[in-house]
Amino acid sequence: MATQSLGERKLFSFSPAMLAWLGLLGLCIVIGLVSAFQVFWNGLYITNMSDSVPWGLWITIDLSSIALGAGAFTLSAVVYLFGLKRFQSIIRLAVFVGFIGYSSALLTLVMDIGRPDRFWHPWVYWNIHSVLWEITWCITIYLTIMLVEFAPVIAESRLFNRYNWVRTAAKYLHKAAPVLALFGLLISLLHQSSLGATYGIVKSRPIWFKPSMPIMFILSAVAVGPALTMAVAYVAEWVTGKRTIPHDIMRAIARFSGFAILVYGYIRFWDLAAVTYYGRTPSVSESFNILNQQTPYNFSFWIFEILLGVVLPAVLFLTPRFNRNPAYLVIGALFAVIGILINRWNVTVGGLFVPLSYSPGTQYQLPPGKYFPGLPEWGIAVGIIGYALTMLTLGIRYLPLFGNDQHS
Amino acid sequence: MSKKKTKIKLELSRRDVLFVGGVAAGSVIAAQLLTTGPLSPFASFKQEQVEGVEESTEATTGHHWGMVINLDKCIGCEYCLRACSATNDVWVDEQLDRPEKPWNIVVEDKTSVDTPFFFSRPCLHCGDAPCVEVCPVQATYHREDGLVVMNYDRCIGCRYCEIACPYDARKFNWQARTEVNPYIPTWGIAEVDRRPRGVVEKCTFCIHRIDAGVKAGLTPGEDREATPACVNICPVGARIFGDLNDPNSQVSQAIDIEATIRLREELGTEPSVYYVIPKEGL
Repeated sequence: MATQSLGERKLFSFSPAMLAWLGLLGLCIVIGLVSAFQVFWNGLYITNMSDSVPWGLWITIDLSSIALGAGAFTLSAVVYLFGLKRFQSIIRLAVFVGFIGYSSALLTLVMDIGRPDRFWHPWVYWNIHSVLWEITWCITIYLTIMLVEFAPVIAESRLFNRYNWVRTAAKYLHKAAPVLALFGLLISLLHQSSLGATYGIVKSRPIWFKPSMPIMFILSAVAVGPALTMAVAYVAEWVTGKRTIPHDIMRAIARFSGFAILVYGYIRFWDLAAVTYYGRTPSVSESFNILNQQTPYNFSFWIFEILLGVVLPAVLFLTPRFNRNPAYLVIGALFAVIGILINRWNVTVGGLFVPLSYSPGTQYQLPPGKYFPGLPEWGIAVGIIGYALTMLTLGIRYLPLFGNDQHS
Repeated sequence: MSKKKTKIKLELSRRDVLFVGGVAAGSVIAAQLLTTGPLSPFASFKQEQVEGVEESTEATTGHHWGMVINLDKCIGCEYCLRACSATNDVWVDEQLDRPEKPWNIVVEDKTSVDTPFFFSRPCLHCGDAPCVEVCPVQATYHREDGLVVMNYDRCIGCRYCEIACPYDARKFNWQARTEVNPYIPTWGIAEVDRRPRGVVEKCTFCIHRIDAGVKAGLTPGEDREATPACVNICPVGARIFGDLNDPNSQVSQAIDIEATIRLREELGTEPSVYYVIPKEGL
C-alpha cells in the first residue's frame, strides 16, 4: 500500500479554496493572538470566570484536546504492544494528531493559569500528592515522547534533504520507537485517568466525588481518540485526493472505536445507576436537583452526551450498513468528539454550578455559580482551534505523514 | 498461520532472568538516586525549600493555633470582616457581578427551626487541608503550628485549591489592584503587602502578628499585638484565639466547656476553627 504514496508527491496546490482555507485559519489565529494579548495585559479579570466558578471553557478545552489526542497512545499500543503491524500506516498520523492535541492543551493551560511566567514551577517544586502535579509531569513527558517519536518523520521531510546526519540520527531514533511507545502508553494511562481524578478526588463537591470519574475519562479518551485520527485520515484523503491509508484499516479502527464507545456508555450507565441507587446521599440529590432545575444539564446529558455522543457514533461505527461509507464514519467521529466536549463541559461547569454547602445543618447557601464564557475566552478557543487546524494542514501538506514506512 | 496455533510455551533462559532482574534492580537504584539521592537535579531546591519552611516554624513548634467562634454571641456587625480587610489589605466589593469576597465572611443564617443567627467564617486552617493536597507546586503548605500558609511567590494561579476547598475560603486575584482600600485607615492599616495579580490568597490567621509575637515572647490570643485582627476587634468577644495544644488557653477551655462543632467534619478535614452553636441548637 505504501507504494501508492511514493509516486507523484503532488499533494495539494494553492487553489482558491486552499487560499480561502488558509485565510480562515489565519483569521482564527489572529483572533486567538489578540485575545491572548488582552488576557496577558489585563489579567484573567476580563474572562467570565469567578471565585465560585474558577474553571470554565479553557479547562474544558484542555481536557477535551488531551482526550482527543489519545489516538496516539491507543494506536501505538495496538501496533507495538499487541503487534498488529497492519495498523503501522496510521501511527504517524495518530502521533501527529496526539501532538497537536497535547500542545493545544498546554497552550490553553498557559492562558488559564494566573501566572504564566511561573509555568515551570511544577517541575521544580514538587507536590507528589497533587493530581495536577502528576498531570503536568505526564503531559510534558508525553509531549516529549511524541516529539521524539515524530522526529524521524520531520527528518524525512524535504527540508532535511541536504543534511544526511539528521537522517542517520533519525534512523536510530526510529529504532527506539517501540520502547518509546510503550513508555508513552504507561504515561498516557496515568494522566488520562488522572484528569478524571482531578474531579473525582474533590470531596467537597458531592457530584464529582466518586471513584468512577477516572475510569470514565480514560475510557472515553481511548474510544474517541482513534476515531478522530481515522476521521482526520479520511478528510486528508478527500482533500489531497489520494488514498493513503487502506480503508479496511480505517474501518477496523472505527469498529474498535464503536466497541470502546459502547463500553464507555455501559460504564456511564453503570455510574448513573450507582450514583442514583447506592451513592445517593442527600447532598448528591440536592446537587442534581439544582442542576436539573436551573440548567439544561439533563437535556445536554441525555441528548448530547448519550444520544449524539455515544449511541449515534456506536451505531455508525458498528453497523455494516453505515460503516462501509467513509462519510458516515467521519460524521460518527464528529459526534463522538462533540460528545466528549459536552461531557467535559458538563463535568467541569456543572460541578462548579452547584454551590458548596458548609454551613452546619442550616439554611444558609451560597448562590449557584453562574458562568458563561466571555468574549476573550471564546477568542482563545477560536485561536486554539485555528492553531490545531493550521498544524494539521501544514503537516498534511509538508510532512510525510502517510505510508513511506520503509524502515519500520 | 497454523504454526501459530501450537501451544504457547514459556521459555525463560537464564539470560532473560538475569536481564529482567538487572533491569528491576537498576530501576530501583536509579529511582532512589534520582529522587532523593545526590544525582537528583532538584535536590538543592527541595533542600532549600524544606529548610525555609522549618526555619520559620522553629520558633513556634509545639503550638497549634486555633479559633473558637461563638455563634450565640455574634451580632453580625461585620467588624471582623472590616478589620481583617484593612489589616491584610483584602479587596472587598460585593456589589460587583462577580463579587470580590472578603477573607472573613459574615452572613445571616437560620437554624433548622428558623431562629436567625449570624455566621462568620475565616479560613479554617484544616489539619488535613484539601487545598494543600491538590496544589501542584506546594505553594500552600502546612506549618507545624497548624497554620495553612501560602507562598505567593510560588503560586502559579491554577485555582485548583479554590475548587478543592470545601469552605469557599479562597480568593483569586483576578486583576492587579491600584485603588485605595476603603477600609484603610478607619479599620486599621495594612500590615502585609498586597498580593500580585494572578495568585490565590486566603486568611492567614494574621500570621505576621503570630510570628512576630511569638518571637517577642508574647502569647497569641492573650496579647493583642500577637492576636488576629478579627479577634481583637470583635465588640462582643464572639471570637477567641489561642493554642489548642495548651489546655489552659482560652480556646481549649472554651472547647471543654461549650458545645462546639466543626464545619463538615465528615470530610475529615480537621479544621482548627470550632463553632459554639446557638443556645437554641442548630
